[in-house]
Amino acid sequence: MPRRPQTRRWQAVTLALLGAVAAVGVAAAAVRSPEKPAAAAGAGALPLPVAPAFVPGRPRPLGSTRHLSHWAIVKRPAIARVAPAAGAAVVAAVPTLAPEGTPSAVAVIAQRQDDGGRVWVHVRLPVLPNGTTGWVRRRALGGYEAVDTRLDVDLARLRATLYRDGRPVLRAPVGVGGPGWPTPRGEFYVRNKLTRYRSPAYGPVAFGTSARSPAATGWPAGGFVGIHGTDRPDLVPGRVSHGCIRMRNADIRALARRMPVGTPLTIH
Amino acid sequence: MTELTLESVDRDEALLDAVSELYGSTRAGFLRGAAMGGAAMLSTLAAPPTAAAGVSDVAILNFGLRFERLQATFYTQAEELGTIASMTRAKQTWAETLGAHERAHVRIIKQVLGPKAGPAPAFDFGEANSTDAAFTRTAVAMEDLTVALLTGIVPQVHDRALTAALMGLLTVEARHAAWARHIVGTVPAPAAFDTPKSLHQVRGVLARTRFIAEQPKMTAKRRPKYTG
Repeated sequence: MPRRPQTRRWQAVTLALLGAVAAVGVAAAAVRSPEKPAAAAGAGALPLPVAPAFVPGRPRPLGSTRHLSHWAIVKRPAIARVAPAAGAAVVAAVPTLAPEGTPSAVAVIAQRQDDGGRVWVHVRLPVLPNGTTGWVRRRALGGYEAVDTRLDVDLARLRATLYRDGRPVLRAPVGVGGPGWPTPRGEFYVRNKLTRYRSPAYGPVAFGTSARSPAATGWPAGGFVGIHGTDRPDLVPGRVSHGCIRMRNADIRALARRMPVGTPLTIH
Repeated sequence: MTELTLESVDRDEALLDAVSELYGSTRAGFLRGAAMGGAAMLSTLAAPPTAAAGVSDVAILNFGLRFERLQATFYTQAEELGTIASMTRAKQTWAETLGAHERAHVRIIKQVLGPKAGPAPAFDFGEANSTDAAFTRTAVAMEDLTVALLTGIVPQVHDRALTAALMGLLTVEARHAAWARHIVGTVPAPAAFDTPKSLHQVRGVLARTRFIAEQPKMTAKRRPKYTG
């Protein structure tokens, strides 16, 4: 909207008045401080603010957490219970170390405070039967880590899809459990990552998951289902494993670059 | 308004232990001798030594980044995990606003440091951001500590433009601290003067909280024993 001439006149008058007041102020300051003539003389040109080296951008709200999951290491041996109460029935003991020597990890589902003010965390556990969850004290766990990835393994289509923030970022054919050695279905998570070992049958990288083979309970280290490479890429895709999820080596390397530990895993 | 003390905001007493140690007293002795507000108690630490005198601007900015990351993660996790959603509307606005500000601070300092930015540490807040009460108490202590830190480090910065930028952060953090104190019903400005703290002193307080944790090593060089 164009300014009216009358408004401009008032602005000019106001500016003139302000200038006069400033001049009187400077003169008065000079009279009061005769010992600082240099400062008084320069007062007509007050220094400008120092330009800041940086200015933060606009603060942004957190945004959607729909595709976010949390996990934590177990830093003190814990007892998982069926409910968030010290007297609730025991589900399982939760050790601090995984069979592979890395810290034991659990997937965080929820947290709640009991009547005594103690904080309990509902976690997914790497124990049989698959899908077991329990409540552990918050103080038994380390800091929460967040991931925005999710791995989906489709047993019918023999295909794995990695999602980041809800969008597919990697698709690859997989080998899964053969007759008598089914790959278990359900909700799991990635517990750890193994590299630089010498075992061509497992390829260059292997992920440990919380899934366990009900058919391989006597297997060394508890029969955990892994996601790993292979020295028989010709068998992928196929129903060829003892429950593990096999990928071609190029695919497992690509997965290792994109999938952090703690990623939720759905096998269906 | 009730007077806020570090004892009342610091549930695990990690901050209190650290502050009393710096003060050269036992925790109980420190509490007996300090009948004043939380910020004032933090202010009673010895004047900053000249330890920061040879510290480069990059090192100072990296410490600032570490501290901003700590705060940003504290607020962000509380929002992600539903702690903030369980609060009153006024407290939600406060906590979400502070979280957004701290994330903006992290972004800009990372951008300024570029490849010289230190790696993001792991954080373990324990129960400190898991419940409304613990979150609020810790936030008050953290904001007071941030003001003390920035008051201490800004005069150590060599570059005037960087000093000007950090002054912009300091005044905002002081508003955060006052808002946090208002939220818990205590005096927003408990002292007439904020005594500066040194990097060394703040680093000591942070170490005692154990909020900055070791990054868990989830990768191992070991032959798999999976079902194959």
